[in-house]
Amino acid sequence: MREITYGEALREAMRQAMSNDPRVFLIGEDIGIYGGAFGVTAGLVNEFGEERVIDTPISEAAITGAVIGASLAGMRPIGEIQFMDFVTLSMEQLVLQAAKIRYMFGGNATVPMVLRMPGGSGTGAAAQHSESLENWFVHVPGLKVVMPSNPYDAKGLLLAALDDPNPVIFIEHKLLYKTKGPVPEEMYRVPLSQTKIAREGKHVTVIATSIMVGRSLEAAEKLKAEGIELEVVDPRTLNPLDEKPIFESVKKTGRVLIVHEAVGTGGYGGELAARIASNEAFDYLDAPIRRLTGLDVPIPYNRNLERAAVPQVDDIVREARKLAQGAY
Amino acid sequence: MKEVIMPKFGFTQESGELVRWIKQEGEAVKEGDPIAEVTTDKINMEIEAPASGTLSAISAREGDVIPVTQIIAWILKPGEAAPTGAVPSPAPQAASAETPSPAPLAAVLMATPVAQRAAQDLGVDLQKVRGSGAGGRITREDVENFANSQPSPALPDPRERATPAARRVAREENIGLGDVAGSGPHGRVQAGDVLAAASSAKQAAAPAQKPSAQTEDAFTALPMNAMRRTIAARLQKSAQDAPHVTFDADVDMSALETLRAELNKSAAKDEPKVSVTALLVKACAWALGRHPRINSQLDVDNNRILLMRAINIGMAVALEDGLIVPVIKDAPNKGLRKLAAEIADLGARAKQNKLKMDELSGGTFTISNLGMHEIDRFTAIINPPECAILAVGRAAQKFVPDAEGKPVARPIATLRLSADHRVIDGAVAALFMKDLRKAIENPGVMLS
Amino acid sequence: MELKESYLRTMMLIRAFEQRAEELFALGKVHGTMHLSIGQEATAVGVSNALREGDYLLNTHRGHGHCLAWQGSDVNLMMAEFMGREAGYCRGRGGSMHIANVATNNLGANGIVGGGLPLAVGVGLSIKLRKTDQVCAVIFGDGASNEGAFHESMNMASIWKLPIIYVCENNQYAMSMAIKKSANVARISDRAVAYNVRGITVDGNEVAAVYDAIAEAAADCRAGRGPVLVECQTYRWRGHSKSDRQLYRTREELAEWQGRDPIPRYAKELGWSDAQVEDARAEANKRIDAAVAFAEASPEPDVKDVMEGVYA
Repeated sequence: MREITYGEALREAMRQAMSNDPRVFLIGEDIGIYGGAFGVTAGLVNEFGEERVIDTPISEAAITGAVIGASLAGMRPIGEIQFMDFVTLSMEQLVLQAAKIRYMFGGNATVPMVLRMPGGSGTGAAAQHSESLENWFVHVPGLKVVMPSNPYDAKGLLLAALDDPNPVIFIEHKLLYKTKGPVPEEMYRVPLSQTKIAREGKHVTVIATSIMVGRSLEAAEKLKAEGIELEVVDPRTLNPLDEKPIFESVKKTGRVLIVHEAVGTGGYGGELAARIASNEAFDYLDAPIRRLTGLDVPIPYNRNLERAAVPQVDDIVREARKLAQGAY
Repeated sequence: MKEVIMPKFGFTQESGELVRWIKQEGEAVKEGDPIAEVTTDKINMEIEAPASGTLSAISAREGDVIPVTQIIAWILKPGEAAPTGAVPSPAPQAASAETPSPAPLAAVLMATPVAQRAAQDLGVDLQKVRGSGAGGRITREDVENFANSQPSPALPDPRERATPAARRVAREENIGLGDVAGSGPHGRVQAGDVLAAASSAKQAAAPAQKPSAQTEDAFTALPMNAMRRTIAARLQKSAQDAPHVTFDADVDMSALETLRAELNKSAAKDEPKVSVTALLVKACAWALGRHPRINSQLDVDNNRILLMRAINIGMAVALEDGLIVPVIKDAPNKGLRKLAAEIADLGARAKQNKLKMDELSGGTFTISNLGMHEIDRFTAIINPPECAILAVGRAAQKFVPDAEGKPVARPIATLRLSADHRVIDGAVAALFMKDLRKAIENPGVMLS
Repeated sequence: MELKESYLRTMMLIRAFEQRAEELFALGKVHGTMHLSIGQEATAVGVSNALREGDYLLNTHRGHGHCLAWQGSDVNLMMAEFMGREAGYCRGRGGSMHIANVATNNLGANGIVGGGLPLAVGVGLSIKLRKTDQVCAVIFGDGASNEGAFHESMNMASIWKLPIIYVCENNQYAMSMAIKKSANVARISDRAVAYNVRGITVDGNEVAAVYDAIAEAAADCRAGRGPVLVECQTYRWRGHSKSDRQLYRTREELAEWQGRDPIPRYAKELGWSDAQVEDARAEANKRIDAAVAFAEASPEPDVKDVMEGVYA
């Protein structure tokens, strides 16, 4: 199968969706002629015109509202927030409108929108351009939160998100845009709320999101040589979460390491740990549940500090090894 | 206020004897506290306080035999007084859901059921406990006192650290965590530690060599298919759960044989032929109708014996590598020829694996016949959820004394009933077999 | 605008609804609070009747009047929603501030001041992309015009010539904050010029004035000339919500605005006698009686269904 990048996979999904369905259009800052801050929408305006690839002023609230309002009035828009950090300016519209309209109207409305945004650190963009805020949205009923970790999932999940009649927060990672992987040419879906076992193993369950999935797989290769087999689990959709494979994995290995880039305090790892500890999987834990997360710190500018602030492959290797060897 | 009654624990129980009062007149009790011990002819039970309050107006003395549902005391709240005058029996209550199931006779441990449950919960070995109850029975208090005086192995010592997985394995393997050395941080017990302790215990007990340890050329492996696995699991469970008791009757089959011949002689050309099997089924159906206890199922969870209304008789049919039990529904109400035809049809289809689901379910009694293979007698394992099974051996010519004591040859078959002694006692089984013999040796009785 | 009796009856129905809502609250029969639009009936009737079937409405938290005046509205279902019943427009889940009737393109009242303004951009975009001649009316108050969302929304509507009528119900106060103190422009409609949008101010208590301004704005929108801002000057007779002691305005001011009550004004234009007015008022109250009876007879939502409707 041909290999393309994560960014190209997203672009292909959008191009195919727009060719297929006249209701789909893109809206966001600099997505037209500029091609998007990370080049994801490059070329699409030439193919579909400015009417369907809409450049906007810098107005996150209105951009988000536009996406919501259009989806209320029969369209299937994909909005782009240039950096996840700026979604903070969209919060009212996402939390109080998009997430709640269906419920408040007694189930009589749907908001079938997708809002894409790149999160994460590693580009030296510093504190206000490197956020991982996914757990804020996990915390709001009515929103779906998706984090693809590889090009195949990126395309499939984006197409599935478009099919889904709910508002989907689609969180990409800046450092993943240029990573390559096999991606089928046709339109296919990766179902939302379907957890994937990215790698089977019997010693430690590593639950990871976004870029940490790839780092965990690398760590798994390194530990294989030491006879330690990691099972890497990728939820893909953080909410609503497909819990069962996670619990099955925990029952198999008895040891859990949760890895995410976002800050540990109040992060998604806490939610996972609580679910595992309050499910029958608890009786299979042979060690405390461990979380390896971003430090409780704004992302620093300095390169080394930036690296130190979030889990790297070696950190995962070290923590998984300790867990497997019974250090905890 | 709430009345305390002499409870009914068994279907046929009429009275109970008050063994002793655990709480005394005027004592404060909480709902659920054991307040007295009573006994019926087989079992000791505790009465628990039906409400919180003061135990008052005790009217039964230790040693008294009291009719069931009669009031023996009251639980009063402050300011209340027990009703005076004739104490009416309240409406008969169903056996309380709290009632523990009677101890299987096989255990014979002289411990009250409540004591047994407590022993299980507290991880106490009843063999080590001295009983202070009537006749040396072990009471719950005895168990609790024992537990408190020992470091109880099954309950984790708060000082002990063990992972949830270790605790689960300890429960499953019945190992006391206190006996296991922990290899985890700070001496924490890990699941592997418990598994190691369990397997060394098992090895010490029975160093059985697992077949797979032998070299590959010592055997031919037959994979177990679904049917084999099902048979294995079900019959193992049946043998384990149900205490099997067997009852033999060597029965003269000549009357059945004669009846069969007559019926078939008078049959029309295309009418199905009556078989001995059909007659046997008829006889069993008749006897089961008179002894519903044999046609029952045990509802362990609810402490009930279910006397099944329909009599559906399963016929064990041998297959190439297994057996299957098609069921003849409503046997008493089917005519002999119909039975015979159905038996033949089910048997044929069984061998072709063409039976329908509802033909394989709903049985209340099973007959297994190995007579055609010259087996004289054998013991069958009860087919759960039934409580009994009849194993039929071959009818062989044997010499038996006639009315004058002279030897005559008769076809005698050994019928062996296996019964679940939790449900069916010897006398009950014997009476059934007696009637079965009657029906077979003198089929006319079935008309009465 | 053609004078129509139905406009008067609708205003009276709105007035009766609001007054009854007050009574029900005093009787302890309503959960939460309410934001009454007594005094603002003419704006609601003028806006709704100047628009067509298929047009969109985005409403405010003070939106009972707009909801009632909107075509296809059922006062029974409104009252049931107001009283939190399963039979209400939103199955009792939305309440006064979130009443919607999506089937008639009434996209809902909004509990957030200015919350509908960004949504209007999306609705307008949808109309434009689908190339229909529908129009979106977004109602907002004087206070909302100070929200960032107002400016972002007007700007976007303007650059893309979206068919949006920005209807500012200027009732002089945003809760306790007088517009005179919170904005340094003489009129809200003056703000439109910042976005190169046509803005006009009308007497919000005169049905014809509102009607004509909205009809003209709708024509502009349908012709692709872009959004219009129509400011309707009006006044709310009651406080912001039930917990408002109204210390921020004077009785004299209230009395002055009550003298401009839209209902008797319009009745006069219709040439109705006092008796006719009274009859119509009684009829409106009877209609509300029936609605209340309907609502009170409707069952409460089942608690076990609390999670329904979160996700589609």
